[in-house]
Amino acid sequence: MFAAPFDYARPKTLDEALALLSKHGDEAKLLAGGHSLIPAMKLRLAQPKVLVDIARLDALRRIEERDGRLVIGALVTHAEIAADRAVASRCPLLAEAAAAIGDVQVRNKGTIGGSLVHADPAADWPAAILALDAELDIAGPKGRRTVKAGDFFVDLLETAVKPNEILCEIRVPATGALVAYVKTEQKASGFALCGVAAVVDAAGKRVRVGITGVAPVPYRAAAVERALDGQPLNAKTIAEAARHAAGGVTPLGDIHASPEYRAHLAAVNTARALERAASR
Amino acid sequence: MTLTGTYRIPAPRERVFAALVDPDVLQRCIEGAEQLVRTSDDAYDVHLKIGIAAFKGSYVGKARLTDKLPPDSFTLHVEGQGGPGFVRGRARIRLVASEGGTEATCDGDGQVGGLLAAVGSRLVEATARKMMDRFFERLTAEMG
Repeated sequence: MFAAPFDYARPKTLDEALALLSKHGDEAKLLAGGHSLIPAMKLRLAQPKVLVDIARLDALRRIEERDGRLVIGALVTHAEIAADRAVASRCPLLAEAAAAIGDVQVRNKGTIGGSLVHADPAADWPAAILALDAELDIAGPKGRRTVKAGDFFVDLLETAVKPNEILCEIRVPATGALVAYVKTEQKASGFALCGVAAVVDAAGKRVRVGITGVAPVPYRAAAVERALDGQPLNAKTIAEAARHAAGGVTPLGDIHASPEYRAHLAAVNTARALERAASR
Repeated sequence: MTLTGTYRIPAPRERVFAALVDPDVLQRCIEGAEQLVRTSDDAYDVHLKIGIAAFKGSYVGKARLTDKLPPDSFTLHVEGQGGPGFVRGRARIRLVASEGGTEATCDGDGQVGGLLAAVGSRLVEATARKMMDRFFERLTAEMG
């Protein structure tokens, strides 16, 4: 399959890239790792007139620590995050989620920013980003703005990033070791039928749970978090709380899994993620 | 794939039915519908510009209404074909009078075929649901 014809630009700076987006409006698409966009173009589901290749924007390819937070550039690949030492020690949930994505090729080329902005409902990153309560920095023609993870995912395949904006970095707090990502994947694609990320605070009294793959938009399992607030974490309290994992959402259904099955997986994986996180 | 949904619309059944079979209303309510060209009684070519994130493109689909039983129900047939495959579907739409308006129930099933089915059926289904939800949102606004 061949993509429809398109023009190609490779800006050297963020400003140049933003100018190209402003000029071409919604006829342009940003190309990062290309592991969602290029297949969509080959299927002609996506037919952008102009590809703006930002792979060479080195400023977006770094992992650094700033003000006690870990800052991940949008163009850092999944494999780089999985292998990074600072990530492993400061925010191990990101390393665990990165290692669960797709296959080796996808992890080597695909980027965290590209995946987040594409907002595939079965992508892995959203669960971790939500559970970590991350902040996302977005550059646009009028400067930069920060969006909380909870406000980032707007709808199916839609985020807070507008067509003339670029996601630049993802900031996450340092966590302890009490984290886990548990996923049931669709065997052929590796996409999540249901992925649950859990973060437990040091005292073991507060939890944050992010769930992907289940609903059209990834979400925080607020009912689970409330049920466990201030409670000791044990098999009984976890099992009780995890029953609410798909509360308030309309689960997706497709050829791979019915809505009922996805809701069931949400409960099972939430319990497993919390148990695993609490035992680390 | 199956596509079902129930929507409450604050208008009497007769008005809702008339709106649902009115090409002008449909064009306003189907997200991305740029043009509805009538090809025969109750059959249309729908020129769609779908702009859901990465999946932007222009498509031409066929829509046909059959089994019209005003103001109770009708059947909508849709068909779209493109490079990588096809989407075909049929939905029975039933209108039931309810307190303060009408309850519309959409009961549909469809097939996705070709290469599209192998790679994209997951997203086609979720996208179809989203378009249906938005359609009824807009219709509700239109009736308000």
